[in-house]
Formats: sequence, C-alpha cells, structure tokens
Amino acid sequence: MSSSPVKQTAITSYPKFIGRALWLATEGSFAFYAWMTVLTAVFLVGANAWANQVAGGMITTNMTDHVSWGLYIANFTFCVGLAAGGVMMVIPAYLYDDEEMHKVVIIGEAVAIAAIVMCTLSVVVDLGRPDRFWHLIPGIGKFNWPMSMLTWDVIVLNGYLLINLHVVGYLLYMRYLGRKPNVWWYLPFVFLSIFWAISIHTVTAFLYCGLGGRPFWNSALLAPRFLASAFVSGPAFIILVMRVLRVTTGYAAPTGPARTLIQIIRVAMTINLLMLVSEIFTVLYTGSAHAAPLNYLFFGDHGKNGLVPWIWTAIGMNLVGTALFFTPAALERSHVRILACLLVIVGIWIEKGMGLIVPGFIPSTLHEIVEYSPSLLEWKVVAGIWGLGLIILTLSLKLIVNVFTDRMHTDEPAT
Amino acid sequence: MTSTDPCNSQQAESKANRSLPIVENFTRRAAVKGGFATLGAAAFVAAISPLRQAAKSTTAVEFMQRHYTELSPEQKANVISRLEAETKEKYGADVTIADDRPIPGTKFVYAINLSVCNGNGKCVEACHKENNHDRSTNQSYIRVIEMPKGTMDMEKGSTTYSGIVPKDDKFYLPVQCQQCDEPPCVDVCPVKATWKEEDGIVVVDYNWCIGCRYCEAACPYHARRFNWKQPEVPAEEINPDQSYLSNRVRPVGVVEKCTYCLHRTRRGKLPACLEACPTGARVFGNILDKNSNIRWILENKRVYILKEELGTKPAFFYYFD
Amino acid sequence: MPRIASLFFAVLLCLFASVALAALWQSGMRANTPTSSAAEAQVSQASVHSNEAHPVIIRKPSGPPRIELAGTDPQGRTASVACSTCHSIRQANLENKTAATLDEFHQGMAFNHGNITCYACHNPNESDALRLADGSSVAYENVMTLCSQCHSKQAESFAHGAHGGMNGHWDLSRGPQMKNNCIDCHDPHVPKYPKMIVGFKPKDRFNEPSTAEHQQEGTAAHDKH
Repeated sequence: MSSSPVKQTAITSYPKFIGRALWLATEGSFAFYAWMTVLTAVFLVGANAWANQVAGGMITTNMTDHVSWGLYIANFTFCVGLAAGGVMMVIPAYLYDDEEMHKVVIIGEAVAIAAIVMCTLSVVVDLGRPDRFWHLIPGIGKFNWPMSMLTWDVIVLNGYLLINLHVVGYLLYMRYLGRKPNVWWYLPFVFLSIFWAISIHTVTAFLYCGLGGRPFWNSALLAPRFLASAFVSGPAFIILVMRVLRVTTGYAAPTGPARTLIQIIRVAMTINLLMLVSEIFTVLYTGSAHAAPLNYLFFGDHGKNGLVPWIWTAIGMNLVGTALFFTPAALERSHVRILACLLVIVGIWIEKGMGLIVPGFIPSTLHEIVEYSPSLLEWKVVAGIWGLGLIILTLSLKLIVNVFTDRMHTDEPAT
Repeated sequence: MTSTDPCNSQQAESKANRSLPIVENFTRRAAVKGGFATLGAAAFVAAISPLRQAAKSTTAVEFMQRHYTELSPEQKANVISRLEAETKEKYGADVTIADDRPIPGTKFVYAINLSVCNGNGKCVEACHKENNHDRSTNQSYIRVIEMPKGTMDMEKGSTTYSGIVPKDDKFYLPVQCQQCDEPPCVDVCPVKATWKEEDGIVVVDYNWCIGCRYCEAACPYHARRFNWKQPEVPAEEINPDQSYLSNRVRPVGVVEKCTYCLHRTRRGKLPACLEACPTGARVFGNILDKNSNIRWILENKRVYILKEELGTKPAFFYYFD
Repeated sequence: MPRIASLFFAVLLCLFASVALAALWQSGMRANTPTSSAAEAQVSQASVHSNEAHPVIIRKPSGPPRIELAGTDPQGRTASVACSTCHSIRQANLENKTAATLDEFHQGMAFNHGNITCYACHNPNESDALRLADGSSVAYENVMTLCSQCHSKQAESFAHGAHGGMNGHWDLSRGPQMKNNCIDCHDPHVPKYPKMIVGFKPKDRFNEPSTAEHQQEGTAAHDKH
C-alpha cells in the first residue's frame, strides 16, 4: 500500500504517520527501555494506589474537612505552571521571530502537553466520586459556567491541550510528509496558545484568589505571582529537557534558546521573589487577619509547625537557584546549570504546592489549626501521575527527534 | 513495554504484515513489543482491580441518575424507593425518605443569643443524632468556639475546650451553615450540585456531587463536611425520619451540610439543635412573617453577623441581651 | 510582529474584562431573584398566619410545693404537708432575707437571689400562694407573673421567643409549640443558670482527642434542683 504510486490523502497517510510514530517512539537503547520500564512501574504503583483510594474512600488520604485539598491540588497547581511555562518559548519564537528558538519551540509544546495531562489527572484523583465525572461534561452533565472558576479551568485546560496537540501534530506531520506547513493551519493556533497559556494560569490562580473566606489566597498578587513562577519552572524544565535530549539522542539544540530561557528565568524569578517579599511585607507589617496563615507557614503557630521546613527549603532552593542563574561564569558549566534548574523547579514545586495550597487551609476558616502532611498513598498517586506524564513526554520527544532528524519520513516520493 | 496502550500492539502487528524498510528483524521486534504491551496492559488491569470492588456498590441506575431538579415525579419516587431499599440493605434500618419542598411564603432565619449560650454542646450532639452522622467521628454540622470576652476575633477562640462551662471571662459562639443569601459555595460548584432554595436553605444533591470539595474551600464558616468514608451508624440509632435533600444517610465521597433540618422545618417543626438547646439561646423562624420571633429579634436586639465583610449575607444572626 | 503583539495583548485584556463582566452580571442576577420571590411571599404570608390553629403552650408548675415528711407511719406510708400546715399558725418574719436563720423544713436551703426578703415573693397571709408587689395574691401556677415584675426585659424577650427553651413547631398552623416557664431553668431561690459539663465533641481526624470525650452527660448539674 505504501508503495502505491497514487498520491495518498491525509485519511490514509495520517494513521500511518501515527503508527510509524508509535513504532519508532518505542524503539531505543537499553537505557531507554530501562527508563520506560521504571516509569511504567511507577505509574502502575500510582494507578493501584488510586484504585485503592476509590475503593476505600478518601479516608486513605491525610486530607480532612479542615485541610480539604492537599498534595493532589498542589501538584495540579505546579503542573499548570509547567504547561504555561512552555509559552515562554513560543513568545520569542513567534512574536519576536527568534529563528533559533523557532527550531526548538516544539519541545516547549511537548512539555505543555505532558503537563496538561498531569494537571487533568491531578484533579481527577482528587475527586471523591470519579464515577460521576460525566456530570462535568457540558451538554450531558450540568456545567456551572460561567459562575464556577473550576468550569473555566476545565475549558482552558482542555482547550490548551487541544491547541498544543494540533500545533505539534500538524507541524510534525507536515515535516514527516516533507511538505511546508501552511501558515494558516498553525499560526493562528500558535497565537491563540500564547493567550491560552496565560489564561490557564490566571484562571487557576482565580480558582483560589476568588475565595473571600481564605485570606491567604484572597490576594490580587496571586495570579501575577503564579505567572512569574510559571515562567521560572517552565523554562527551567525545558532547559533540562534539552540537556537530556543532547546527552541521550545527540539532538543538539542551538545554544541561543537556552540563553534566552535563562534570561527569562532571571527576570521572572526576580519578579517572583519581589512579589513574594511585597506580599510578606504587606501582611506581616500590618499584622492583619491575613497574617495567621503566613505566620503558620513561616514560623509555626501554637506549637504547630509542619510546613516550616517545607517553606524554608523552598526559599533556600529558590534563592540559591536564582543566585546561580545570576552567576554567568558558573552557569557555563553544565552541571551547575542542571543544578540551578533543579533547584528552582523543586523550590517552586514546594512554594506553589505545599507552600500555597496547604496554608490556605491553616488555620481553618474558624481558626482551628489542623495540620496536614500527605499520606504514603497520596505520594504514590502523585508519583504515578509524574510517571505517566514523563512517559508521554519521553514518547513525544522521541517522536519529535525522529521527525526532526529525518529518521522518520514518508516513504512516498515528494511531489 | 512501556506503553500500556493496547492499540500499540495492534498497530505493531498490522505493521508487521507490511514490508517496510528501515527496521531490521521487524517481525521479532513487533512480537516482543506486542508482548510487552500486552503485559503492561495486564499489569494495568491488575493495578486498578480494587476499582471493581468499588463499582459493585454503584448500580447502573444510580450512575445514570439525573440532577434532582431534572427528575420527574415518577423518577423521584423511584430514586427514593431505591435509596430506602439501599438503607435497608446496607444499614438494616427501615427508613422513610420524603421529598420536602419549601413552604411558599417562608424564608428561614436563625438567631443565637450569645449572652445566653453556655457552650454545653447539646446542639452539636442533637445534630449528630438527627442527621445520621458517622458515629465513629462524632461528626456534626455545628462547631462551638470558646471565645475570650472582649473580642470577636475567632483567631483567639478554641473549639477543643471541655469540662465545666461556661468558664469565667469566656463566651461561646456556635457556628453552622449560615444559609447565605450570596453563598460562595454555590457559586464555585462546577456541576450545580448545590443550590439555594426558595426558603433560603442551601442544599446539596448527594447523588450529583462529584466530590471536588471546592465548596469546602470556598465556605468561610467551615459549614461543609466531606464523606471521607461511608458513614457508620448502627441500625437502631438511625433516624428513620429522612428527606432526600437532608438527613438521609449520605454516600461516600460527597459533600454535605446543615439544611436547617429541612425534613423538620419544612413540616413546620423546629430544628433539632434548637429543641436540644437547654439555655434557650436558639431562635428559629420565618422572617417573612411580621409576627415571628425572628422579626422581633431583628427589630429589637443588637444583632451581629459573622464575617460581614465577605458579603455573604448570612441568614444567621447572633445577638446579645 | 511587535504590532501584532500589542494587538494580541489588547485582545487578552478584553477577554479578561469580559470574564469580569460575566461574573458581575451573574451576581446581579442573583441579587435580583430573592427580592422578587420575597415580594410574592409577602402576599401569601397573610393566609399562612391567619389559620394559626395551634397554641403556644407554656408549661406551668404543678402548684404550691408540698413538704415531704421525714418519717413514715406504721404502715410505711410517707406523707406530705402543705406550707400552710405550719405557716398558718406561725408569725411571719417579714424581715428575713436568708436561709441561715430558717430551721426545720428549710434546712440546707440555698438562697442567692438579690437582696430581697422571703416575703417579697411568698405570701405571708396565704402560705400556699405567692404575692405580687402590690400585695395581691398569685397562685404558684402563675409564678411567671411574679418573676416578670422585676424581670420585665426577660419577660418581654420570652414573649417573643427570644428567651427560654422551646419545643414543637415554629409554624403554629401545623402544630403547637411548647415553652418552658421561668422556674424550669431558674431555681427561684438561686436563679443563676447552673454550670454544665461539655459531653459531646466532634472527633476530627488528626485533631488532638478531646479530654471531655469520656465524661458523662452534662446536664447533671442542671437537673439536680
């Protein structure tokens, strides 16, 4: 069939493209198989933990009526940031016509796809009744739009996933066919994705900051802070991914994009820390009602200090990471660069997760202090989500490399 | 090996029939890949096998049930008889589940006299029993805060007080659902599983709630509770006098809340927490009735509402003598 | 491209503005609905109120107290006597203010009710009844009339359901309401509401266990008198 001289239509060639993509994406070295096996194992452990949670009720988590969101929503918030961070490659590539960035922008989009899948899963595992998920589907369920910010989030997250799947899929497919992509088929979507990336994180911030009963979240700075930290963690993650690609596949991305991303990290991290300081100052200096959660978070309250080690670890990591990013000489060494990226990624994961979601609930709205630390089951589930996210990311990166190194192309002669 | 997607193996097999260049040992690799994919899929099925147990307790009818407001009278009757049978089966108790609707011309309002309340917790217990709460956790919709005199700042209060009450220089602040006129919990619900009815009561359709707990995060009064597990109530302790939107035994994984005992109040009776109050601190009534107790209090006493600055407009007042 | 960029961010801004507008519009809608339903309700309310078929029943004391005699007769029967059995033949001490000076049947009685004399409330001329401030007699059953002379604020609140416990129905068209009287809760000689013990506490997961968990029902102190 493939040798048919007749020009193929998309209907026959696209499934073939998918098939080839899957076949080649599962080809690799021993190290690749080992990596994928580990990820699969982690994912299965997570899936099993989640199944047990559904069967036994959410009593198996350490969440309570006081701290009713925990590690899952924390991870969700971070993953939204990761997805939004990918846009920091799209903006230079398309708005400022950075040629080199253009070549690697698709990596950012792949990261976004994997991150959005992780977001969706993080929310699904947080549901008490996942069997009633269909109630959320507009049309057959009952969708409380536009009042509920969660419905906005459902829309923007799924929209962002579709946009990125379309852009990535279309560009790879065209490259595979050896054709020049039609600008009208992807450029509008690229611009839409820029808007959309900002909106996913803004809407996610609105999810929290719209709650008047939670003074810790009820701050106008929350959305900008979310964006600033997203533009640190996203690019840092992408730098790491490009590094891994260079080592494992020899797919050497140009150095320009990494430099741009480092610049973005420097600026975004500075803004993020500045906003953090400004928020801490406002709250602690006035000593208003908003001070209680911050006090608990940073110093502990009434002898309870479960989050204190978390937040100081995060702040330490962010500060050291930022210092490294501002030391160009050290940053030239690749292991320092990797360390700096890891530091800010983990630092922001804590700051936006355990350091942002959990203290929103402590003290509770009646000012009771009930602490929270995730149960083993919750850690397993989150690990499983990351396992699946990294499987998706690995497969899509392999596909991208295969296509871009012309290892995968259509058998059909170019017309 | 990696992908658990069954179509991967199919793809690989269908590909094996064609002769494509590039890959050596194609058939063998395809077989290995297919084998690992099958293994992965099997492992996945094994991993999520506890779900089968969970699925057993959910029938197809229950899964397909529409939202409360969309049920026809016959459908409602079916749902209710199904729920009654389920309670009999799971808890061994014969219960009657009614579908109490708002009385036209009523808007329920609650008031508590903080000069009189002595924090004895009888209301907490009455709520626990009346509403078929989980016995092992002593769950209740009411929390009482012991507050030092001279402040309304709940940060200075404590809910874990015990022993002899009232203590000198303390006053007691019972908090339950305030049945807000601008309820943030209703706004945030993504599936409209919670709404405000004409008599002012904010209710939850326990069979529609997806358990995301956004309402729990949104409520400024800690009024909502999540069923972290299936509630356990001995058959002889189950209150058989139930209502669909109120005190029927709740399923696991959904959010619930105070309904001003609508299974009582919509039949003209006083709420259980009020009847249990030995100090007479609690007052309940219809604010649209000009001669009601509640109207007299609002017109003649100094009233205070909790967290007024949030704009939630509670239908719940605190007053002092 | 920079031109497109600015255009793009303008679009972005518009979109967020529309979100905000949608939210505002929604809250406006919500604000309107209750008002309209309230207006309708006002109309139908009259009819609800007119058919108040059921009464508010205020519990009354059973009557004048009787004094249980300490001994039993040869048949083992106990007996009780009315206050007037002794007091009709004794001179009333109108000045007495404390139980300490009382003997016989009044031993061990506590008294802590302001600075008033026994005969401020008890009737010196009619021992099985009470006495109002104007000297007129009032039956024990109507003790609330007596209390209300001084505690008019409480009496007013009581009349409007804002003082004292109750049971039954809020809606008198559907059933009666039962209310306590003053001395159900307040010992007339020591009227301060008694202390109680907290008996029931919710046990939150991960909250420290409450120390009161195993203590007995809290009304003991209350029910004694």
